Amino acid sequence: MPVSIQYQEKDKLLQKHPKIEICLKCNTCALVCPVTRYEVGFSPTNTYVGNVFSAPEPEKNPNIWLCVSCHKCEEICPYEVKPPKVIEALKEEAFEKGYAPEAIREEINQVLTAGYAFPIFQSLSFINRERTRRGLKALGERKVGEIKKIAEKTGLESKMVRVRSR
Amino acid sequence: MTEKYAFFRGCFVPVRLPQIEAVAQKVFSDMGVSLVSLDDFTCCPEPVGVGINDKMMWLSLAARNLAVAEENGLDIITVCNGCTYTLRHACNALNSNTQLLNKVNETISDTGHEYKGKVKVSHFLEVLKNEIGIKKVKDAVEYPLSELTIATHTGCHLLSPREVMKFDDPFDPTILDDLVAVLGATPADYDMKTMCCGWTLMTYGTREGAYRLLGDKLGNMKLAQADCLTVVCPQCFYQFDMGQWIASRKSITRYNLPVLFYLQLLGLAMGYTLEEIGYDSHKIKNPAFESKIRMR
Repeated sequence: MPVSIQYQEKDKLLQKHPKIEICLKCNTCALVCPVTRYEVGFSPTNTYVGNVFSAPEPEKNPNIWLCVSCHKCEEICPYEVKPPKVIEALKEEAFEKGYAPEAIREEINQVLTAGYAFPIFQSLSFINRERTRRGLKALGERKVGEIKKIAEKTGLESKMVRVRSR
Repeated sequence: MTEKYAFFRGCFVPVRLPQIEAVAQKVFSDMGVSLVSLDDFTCCPEPVGVGINDKMMWLSLAARNLAVAEENGLDIITVCNGCTYTLRHACNALNSNTQLLNKVNETISDTGHEYKGKVKVSHFLEVLKNEIGIKKVKDAVEYPLSELTIATHTGCHLLSPREVMKFDDPFDPTILDDLVAVLGATPADYDMKTMCCGWTLMTYGTREGAYRLLGDKLGNMKLAQADCLTVVCPQCFYQFDMGQWIASRKSITRYNLPVLFYLQLLGLAMGYTLEEIGYDSHKIKNPAFESKIRMR
């Protein structure tokens, strides 16, 4: 399988995931991939082998974000190649460089600022009315201060500022 | 048997599907297991958005949640495949690797929490199967759902990757079918059983793709004579309920196949009414299904 000689990070990727080179392009993974079946432009084989490893900047390929990390491809692969591991590594690199789609950036922002994975505070009173009706305790704010402290330590806080200013 | 768990509700259940939180509390309490909701829990955090893009943040926030349970002397029970996926990955990585555990503890040290690596995380299906036991679940059934044929959808992230999740066969899952059979119902044998629900396609892919997937999957369930389907993850639930409702208005055939969280089915078999399990909040309602429930 040809690996792009122009892709700068390839040695790092190959070192971390040596099984990349074993891929025979047998396409067994594409048979069980929900994204391949219902979306255009993605298959574990093409996105990961063809597209990704023959392109100079595979992390810029917007189709990597279609992967839903269901791991079906890695479960069925006869050679234990694990495409999601590589796609996830590329996503991490893309996020770092500011190529992640807005939906992803917003979701991370939500977790950092509210402690929930999606926006809720505009409708908290409605949610709590529903909860009370079911005999459940009202929801309060989550420990956002502690999340912020962790994000400062891991560097995600400053990464988010950098990513947003791009 | 563990009699008390830290109830990790996640984000989706308490906010969008409170009826599932209520039914979980009720069912487990009737089974002699108490679920303690801890206010200190935050988002697990969500694996596909946060987990992939910042591994250290993912592990650290998860470790903080594990520490909260540990400080209360409790193991965790979850009602969501995503939460189970995140927390079990964290347990797997941290419980056996002191070096990584120290690094993560250093990262969360400013919050005043420290994770010692002792917490066990179980999805509620695992608690039913391994802790409470299928026999005791069977004993709790007072009104068998023998009129119903039920299509099961275990979902992706509870099954894979199997070396981490260690739950069921990712391509031929049978545990949920067994638990449906115990209620007196017939599990439907349908094609595309292990296909994703399409929830993440709604966010990261296209809605059309997600709706086509939903249509194919529901069509196969219908072909297998299913009266309803059952799930064990709130995102799958939302996709099959709200997603089916929206999709059937514009792009797919109207299947009108109600979806029930497994704990709702268990509740029905234990004698709760449709109102008590929160069926009134569902988008997809089917009179034929309802009359079979009232006949039970």
